[in-house]
Amino acid sequence: MVKDIILPDLGEGIEGAEVSEVSVETGDTVNPEDTILVLESDKASMEIPAEVNGTVKEISVEPGDELKTGQLIMKIEIVDGSNKKEEPDKRITEENSPADTPQLPILEKMGSTDHVFASPGVRRLARELEINLQIIRGTGLKGRITKNDLHGYIKLQMAMSAGSILPPQPVIDFSQWGDVELQKLTKIKRITGERLQQAWQLIPHVTQFDEADITDLDVLRKKMKTAGTKKGIKVTFLPFLMKALSILLKEMPEFNSSLDHANQNLVIKNYYHLGIAVDTSSGLTVPVVRDVDKKSIYELSEELMDLSIRARNKKLNPDELKGGTFTISSLGGIGGTGFSPIVNPPEVGIMGVSRSVWKNAYDKEAGEFVARYKMPFSLSYDHRVIDGAAAATFTARFSEILLDMSNFKN
Amino acid sequence: MDEAKHAEIVVIGAGPGGYAAAFRAADLGKQVLLIDRDPELGGVCLNRGCIPSKALLHISKVMDETSHLEKMGVTYGDPEIDLNVVQTHKNKIVSQLNSGIAQLAKARKVETLQGLASFVSNTELKVKTGTGDIPITFNQCIIAAGSTSAMIPGIPSEHPSVLTSRTALDLEDVPERLLVIGGGVIGLEIGQVYATFGSSVSVVEFLPNLLPGTDPDLVKPLQRKLKKQFELILVSSKVTKAELRGDETLTVTIKNDNGTTKEIFNKILVSVGRKPNTGLLNIEATDVKVKKDGFIDVDVYQRTSIKNIFAIGDIVGQPMLAHKATHEGKVAAEVASGHPAAFDVRAIPSVVYTDPEIAWAGLTEINAEENNISYEKGEFSWSASGKATVMGANQGKTKILFDPETKQVLGVGIVGYGAGDMISEGMLAIEMGADAEDISLTVHPHPTLGETFSAAADMFTGTITDLYIPSKKGK
Repeated sequence: MVKDIILPDLGEGIEGAEVSEVSVETGDTVNPEDTILVLESDKASMEIPAEVNGTVKEISVEPGDELKTGQLIMKIEIVDGSNKKEEPDKRITEENSPADTPQLPILEKMGSTDHVFASPGVRRLARELEINLQIIRGTGLKGRITKNDLHGYIKLQMAMSAGSILPPQPVIDFSQWGDVELQKLTKIKRITGERLQQAWQLIPHVTQFDEADITDLDVLRKKMKTAGTKKGIKVTFLPFLMKALSILLKEMPEFNSSLDHANQNLVIKNYYHLGIAVDTSSGLTVPVVRDVDKKSIYELSEELMDLSIRARNKKLNPDELKGGTFTISSLGGIGGTGFSPIVNPPEVGIMGVSRSVWKNAYDKEAGEFVARYKMPFSLSYDHRVIDGAAAATFTARFSEILLDMSNFKN
Repeated sequence: MDEAKHAEIVVIGAGPGGYAAAFRAADLGKQVLLIDRDPELGGVCLNRGCIPSKALLHISKVMDETSHLEKMGVTYGDPEIDLNVVQTHKNKIVSQLNSGIAQLAKARKVETLQGLASFVSNTELKVKTGTGDIPITFNQCIIAAGSTSAMIPGIPSEHPSVLTSRTALDLEDVPERLLVIGGGVIGLEIGQVYATFGSSVSVVEFLPNLLPGTDPDLVKPLQRKLKKQFELILVSSKVTKAELRGDETLTVTIKNDNGTTKEIFNKILVSVGRKPNTGLLNIEATDVKVKKDGFIDVDVYQRTSIKNIFAIGDIVGQPMLAHKATHEGKVAAEVASGHPAAFDVRAIPSVVYTDPEIAWAGLTEINAEENNISYEKGEFSWSASGKATVMGANQGKTKILFDPETKQVLGVGIVGYGAGDMISEGMLAIEMGADAEDISLTVHPHPTLGETFSAAADMFTGTITDLYIPSKKGK
């Protein structure tokens, strides 16, 4: 049996990438973990594994090609597949043909239906509508793809395309007023642009502002920083904030959730993977640190160093951009007194951190003003999931957690 | 030279694939011309294959069943066979169905033409008729020209004592000794008819098993029965020569590991497979690609290497089965009419209409072993079926092969009375992606042979109550 290998979903925000290397040749034998293709996107370079045992029959891409999710990469003759029927040769020649020759869907684009769980009628409908059944999630019993799933998919596609159409904007010749230069948008800018617009249009955003007293935390951080330097670890405020968030998300799980529209559910996640917004030369990227609640400040610091270096060198693996449950965006090192970040869907909340400053605070017990180190921060949230009172509790509680140094001991 | 014709779609061959293609295309609004070299529509299947053979097999099956009644206290006398009446009966069935197809063609305004079609170019044919050649131009063509019995060297052809599946079904007489060369489906079906009618039948098969390619456990009950019905079954043996004698009998030389023997038979039936009729079409005049073995190469749309020429049925490859041809014919007609149909089936069922019947669909155990495909099996012996016991059909068996991971049905094999009718449920299960539980939880009527299908699934899931299987208990 010959299997069509198509480009899998590469992760949040990446819809396509450029082929930088084809690692196999026609006739090569491959194992599931063998790399068949290396792709380069503006975010990361990634290796695509074969995922099957077999022999490469036909390669449909070459270095330099722009690939999109779902596109055919190559055909592999599978050696241990459980396919039951002999597949006829799918070759279609482009001979000159007389009148009446019908236009047919391009099967390569539609993918094979061999291992798809769908009845013959649904397979026929998919063919008529040119839908690749491999990318559809079945909602029928045991995951069967039903006709309704096809209709739902079409409606979704229509809704998505309707939403993305912007009113045409007039092209203005700015050079009439002075000298201009053109800078091509990077791919990452284009993609984040689309995603941010979508998130902004889709999610009813509210931002809650607050301030945390981090005077004591600053002392602890400096102590740990000195100790860390000896081990070659740079300790910033960020891991402390992450740690505090993981504690808080456990207390208030609706902040660690996603909306499941199809089934009208709120999906509460019992894992705490935090997305960290990282600014790179070509744009914004959000690598994910997994299981923050289980890691120490030093472990988090080390991981952050590694991720930010690799993010800037575009060496992140697509998996590292997936699976976040909450995002934190820190501009503390740069400046600002407050900002309202945009929620990173399908998450429901994002924390924005601004520059900490020394402020005069009145100490009622001592009856005098004392200098306290204050960190302004904000929480943008999806108002469909979280209400204002919960958000205010969240930021207040966050400040409390930062006051208790025992939270950062391990 | 007769008047030239033009057709939007021309179909060559009016067998079950060809007429299905023609009728479907006509229903989709196309102007269709259907060409066949026979005066009657229906092809080999209706005129010289499936239908006449099943007419005879039905008679022999009922004859055989009446003999079972002796054990149940009902005795008939020895049967008297009037071959003329048998032939008339069979021919009546065929002609009744022939005229049915002709009426269907007429109702759809499908024009039919009798003659031998051969290509002139990628868009032209000529048809040799009784009155001369008719030139035909077409936009699209569907080749459904079928297959013919293959012959083997060393055996005289075109002699009344040497039968093919075609002439054997004419049943001119009941030869005293009949040799069947080739222990495949056709040989065993026709051999069994002749044996019931009174011939002493021997079968020689080149490969080590009867019905090569069929799972041995399914063949076993049939083989047991054939051992009683046939004079001799020789496997791993080869007929090297057959010589005609003065009295129209033949001396046949059979070679195997035990040496060479010579035997005299009144008639021999050559049933060693079929070959595609590609050679009759002057296909070289087109750019259609033909494979080395004579089959025409097609894609999932049934298109040949030339986009406006389609091919379906026996001429595009194995299995050479009417229902495959019909399905492919409809696909070709739909694609030719601009619809995005494709030959996208998970399995094609096979049926051997012997007594007992054998039927299978999808993955077989032989196939799984050859291709290293892992499977798990649920098997139900008909000895535990009430209905089979009542019918004296205890030797049957129903088995289902499952995907070890998803538990979905990969293949079904049945041997026993009515297996050919029961396999359809297996086909539905395969196409719908049913798993063991789905079949187990579907209520099957009792007592029927059909419930052996859910029982086979019960055996697999461990929910069987008709048997006691300690190891599966509590699952």
